[in-house]
Amino acid sequence: MGFSRYWFIFFLLFTACDLIDYHPYDGRLDSDIETNLNEKAIVRIESACKTKDTIRFVMTGDTQRSYDETERFVKHINQKTGIDFIIHGGDIADFGMKKEYEWTYDILSKLNYPYVAVIGNHDIIGNGDHVYKKIYGKENFSFIAGNTKFVCLNTNAIEYDYSNPVPDFSFIREEIYDDKEYDRTIVVMHAPPGNEQFNNNVKDVFQAYIKQLPELLFCLHAHNHQLSVSDLFNDGILYYGCENMSKRSYLLFTLTPDDYTYEVVRF
Amino acid sequence: MITRMKSFAFKSFLFLCLFLVPFSIKGQDVYDIRVERYKSTWNNLIPRYTKVQFAGSMGMISAGVGWNYGRDHWETDVLLGLVPRYADRHAMVTMTLKQNYIPWRITLNEKFFFEPLTCGLYMNTLFDDDFWVKNPDKYPSGYYTFSTRVRLHMFVGERITFQLNKKKAPRKSITLFYELSTCDLYLISAVSNSYLKPSDYLSLSFGVKFQIL
Repeated sequence: MGFSRYWFIFFLLFTACDLIDYHPYDGRLDSDIETNLNEKAIVRIESACKTKDTIRFVMTGDTQRSYDETERFVKHINQKTGIDFIIHGGDIADFGMKKEYEWTYDILSKLNYPYVAVIGNHDIIGNGDHVYKKIYGKENFSFIAGNTKFVCLNTNAIEYDYSNPVPDFSFIREEIYDDKEYDRTIVVMHAPPGNEQFNNNVKDVFQAYIKQLPELLFCLHAHNHQLSVSDLFNDGILYYGCENMSKRSYLLFTLTPDDYTYEVVRF
Repeated sequence: MITRMKSFAFKSFLFLCLFLVPFSIKGQDVYDIRVERYKSTWNNLIPRYTKVQFAGSMGMISAGVGWNYGRDHWETDVLLGLVPRYADRHAMVTMTLKQNYIPWRITLNEKFFFEPLTCGLYMNTLFDDDFWVKNPDKYPSGYYTFSTRVRLHMFVGERITFQLNKKKAPRKSITLFYELSTCDLYLISAVSNSYLKPSDYLSLSFGVKFQIL
């Protein structure tokens, strides 16, 4: 009996390496997890959309601890045609744990369309921001789809101290003055100005700054877990907020050369 | 006058001795008993074994000491663990308080016995200022409803024990064990999602125990 038990233990040792977990916050990723996902997705998006004049993209977010619904979302999206890319508005994880990133990664990697993910406040908890940077890349990034530039920003200021510039004005400044070719801009963030996560001392400065981006069309955010369209600063710039994944809806935007439309899709 | 005083002092000393000797013998006994008690209290605090454990969501390697009691059906461990540096973060030290319950012991032969079930709970804390028990003041009250620093784990496992020298040192033994565990946050994620399989939220660990006393 003891002999067979030994073999059972050896069997476990060599076949169950996935079960070895050092700590929920160890940041040690499975070897099959790709890194720099956003950068790789951006290459796909930019090359596929280069000659297109109509762009369709999905805005969703807050998949935190809604693995069943996220899986359902992936199956639903993969059945649709004509989508160019998907934006995840942040809160990939719920407790900032490495395993949550891996679980969400596994589900979202089955998407037939490229997706980019911005960083949410729950993604920063513990050592989550380090895991985010490893899997997805920089916390502030931009890309160009057709004639539209998407500027994606970390706005979860309360998670950091003042040694981390959130929002990063020098990054926005670089985006204002870069020499890439595009006609209009969309700003994407997790928490909108005025929210408890945002550095509200600079929310008016932030608004004035992002309005210097060429032809700012509108802003997108997640975090509030409810649908919202609001002119936050009464200056004509609309902020669109999507529901969280567990409510099983997303925003589908269609950008035409001179205009845009959107619809709320439930799945 | 002086001599009379001296003799009086001497007599009263003798008188005192006569009365105190029996009491002091008794007092000596009481004192001994108290010393014995004191010693045995401290002796009970001497760890009975050392344990080294690999993985188990409490560090890559954890090591520490522990105590058996309740006819060896219960064990309490105190372990220090190390989480190596990954994903651009520094390494971290953890501490674990672990309670084991071992209901059955099956004697296989003279040297080996097998324990088909070990189970229990352990609490793990990180020594790292970036992790908190209660939300730091910067958050609105009740913003996050969990602690990032302290985790509660539960486990089941099995183990096999080899007795080194039953005649000379009857307690001395080496135990090999494995455990499957999960922690509070993994479990919360698992119960609300059929997508998550046991292999997603279970953690496997191995260890060895050196029984000394």
